[in-house]
Amino acid sequence: MSDREQTGQGVGRLVGRAESVLRDNILAQGAGVIGAVGQPAERLLWPVAERYNRRLGERFGEVTGLQLLLLVVALGGLVTAPLWGPDYLRPLTLGAVWAIFAMGWDIQSGYTGYISFGHSALSGAAGYTTGLLTLHLSPELPLFVTVPLSILATTALGLAIAVPSLRLRGPYFSLVTFVTVLLFYRLTKALSHWTNGLRGIRVDVFTYDLTLQYYMVVVPMLAVAATLTYVGRSDVGTVLIAIRENEDAVSAAGLDPTKFKLWSFVLSAVPMGIGGVLLAHVNAGVDPQTFVIVDNSIQMIAMAVIGGMSSILGPLGGAFLFVGLRDVFLVGLGEELRWLALWLLVLLVLVFARDGLFRLLWRALGALGGDRR
Amino acid sequence: MLGDIASVIVDGALISAVYALIAIGFTMVFGVGGVLNLAHGALIMAGAYTYLSLVSDSILASVTLHPIVAFPLTIVIVGLISYGLYVVLVRTIEENVVITFLATIVVAIAFTELVTLVFHAQPYQYSVVPGVLQVQALGTRILYVELAAFVASWVAMGLLWYYVTKTDSGRSIRATSMSERGAMLTGVDVSGVRARTWLVAGGLAGIAGVFLGGIGAAEPTMWLEPLALAFIIVVVGGIGSIKGSVAAAYIVGYLQTATGQFLGQSVRGIMSLVVLVVVLLVLPQGLYGTEFVHE
Repeated sequence: MSDREQTGQGVGRLVGRAESVLRDNILAQGAGVIGAVGQPAERLLWPVAERYNRRLGERFGEVTGLQLLLLVVALGGLVTAPLWGPDYLRPLTLGAVWAIFAMGWDIQSGYTGYISFGHSALSGAAGYTTGLLTLHLSPELPLFVTVPLSILATTALGLAIAVPSLRLRGPYFSLVTFVTVLLFYRLTKALSHWTNGLRGIRVDVFTYDLTLQYYMVVVPMLAVAATLTYVGRSDVGTVLIAIRENEDAVSAAGLDPTKFKLWSFVLSAVPMGIGGVLLAHVNAGVDPQTFVIVDNSIQMIAMAVIGGMSSILGPLGGAFLFVGLRDVFLVGLGEELRWLALWLLVLLVLVFARDGLFRLLWRALGALGGDRR
Repeated sequence: MLGDIASVIVDGALISAVYALIAIGFTMVFGVGGVLNLAHGALIMAGAYTYLSLVSDSILASVTLHPIVAFPLTIVIVGLISYGLYVVLVRTIEENVVITFLATIVVAIAFTELVTLVFHAQPYQYSVVPGVLQVQALGTRILYVELAAFVASWVAMGLLWYYVTKTDSGRSIRATSMSERGAMLTGVDVSGVRARTWLVAGGLAGIAGVFLGGIGAAEPTMWLEPLALAFIIVVVGGIGSIKGSVAAAYIVGYLQTATGQFLGQSVRGIMSLVVLVVVLLVLPQGLYGTEFVHE
């Protein structure tokens, strides 16, 4: 073995040591404190959770008392945001849009393990449909015409990507989706006379009332979250996860994996369409830099990764965390350092907490409930 | 017209040689470790910026090396960066394909930000070998830098060929890519082989980076295009096959040059994407690749 390799292993050992110190001392201590507070709270809340579980547990998953508390607090926080954070309505609105994207990515890539780098092309398709309709047909088109058409166009593009590429296994699928984004980006330039190139197309905002605009985004987001959680918990979700774990076994069980993967892509394209339309109106325009570029796809993935892939609500939380860090908490660092810190965070989560931060939190809360479940 | 054809033939040959370098490193890492290294484009960018920092006095005022020194030094530095990337990051996560996939693309994007932070967003132009060769008989002209890239790339490929066919260390790389278990049973240190593959792939990316930056410019988004090219070439050639990569690099290189010459530069990039889609549908395993598709 060469010297270099020994140094390499030394670095690896050092990382491992740091990890175990973190786990044994800091996290264990923290868990002790949380346990002392959490367990009584859990005992208090459990009867409420039990009632929830009896009514909705089968459809949306069973929860412990503290997990239910987290959900209720989060939901309450979202609904009352204009009261407690009027200054943060813009980031919160963007967070909600990106949450739709992250959840849409998750139902396809997180669940089936077929990683798509092409989801920004889908959101771009929706944004551009709205943009092109308003620019070339009529700026007076009502939302109930442009929105369904945009979602429809996104679904059509989704199928056009999915049908050929889902015949392919493993990395090939990701390669094709990656290339799709590059192609889409080039087309926006090549068809400048239609799309205005890099300048993009102006779209009217929904409303200049920030509070109203916030609700116009949060309500669809909650609907998407509920629907996708329901789907993820259903038999369909189970099959999608089974495809990720062992596709041959799914075939052997008499199910057609390709059919399910197509469905997951459609399930994914519809939220991407919704999110794309919302983003176009929130941003007052659509252009390749804020809609199509590969970085956007990677951001959606990053949000899902931070929150916890294949859990729908994880990516939702991840999106708010990511946008919060990006647009509020790390703004002081300046453009490049801020992004560097964000990507480093994503990398750390990928290496040390693969299941995502929100799933860690969820499990920790669940563990306080003991083995009552 | 004759001049056009001649320049397509010459330009295509020159640029294809660089494309082959990009794709070989990418495909070797996949063939040996089963890892698709999406940070490969970032290594190419590292090559351009390392070389730029070493030769130019506008970046690091105290360091100004002659290209003859800077070029091999760049190859070594990028090789070591690639090696470090494997040892520190990829080795700890490589058993999970999806996580590795995501981690390497995040590294690539993070690297973009790092380069923007250090070197700023504007493109840097630098010359590797200045001058232009006029070929009167054919009515075309060749940049010396393109010629140097062609020569360097074929020398590198020759050395690589010698390494993987004639030396034990190189043969163990080939053995591992054919059958990991078989290699292990004959006493090959598979983990060491993987690390060495990353080192070699990094070195090749470094060479490609120096010349890509020299022919175009060094800028923070310059990794995207080579990464997409590596994808396309590797898919067309067959994933994991060095021979396929060289062949496909020439197909893609010529196709791009020809479409650029006759149909216009804006069609140039789109053409190779179209080829990719056609190949995936008609011949999903590529020219020399193993089966990776199911119906």
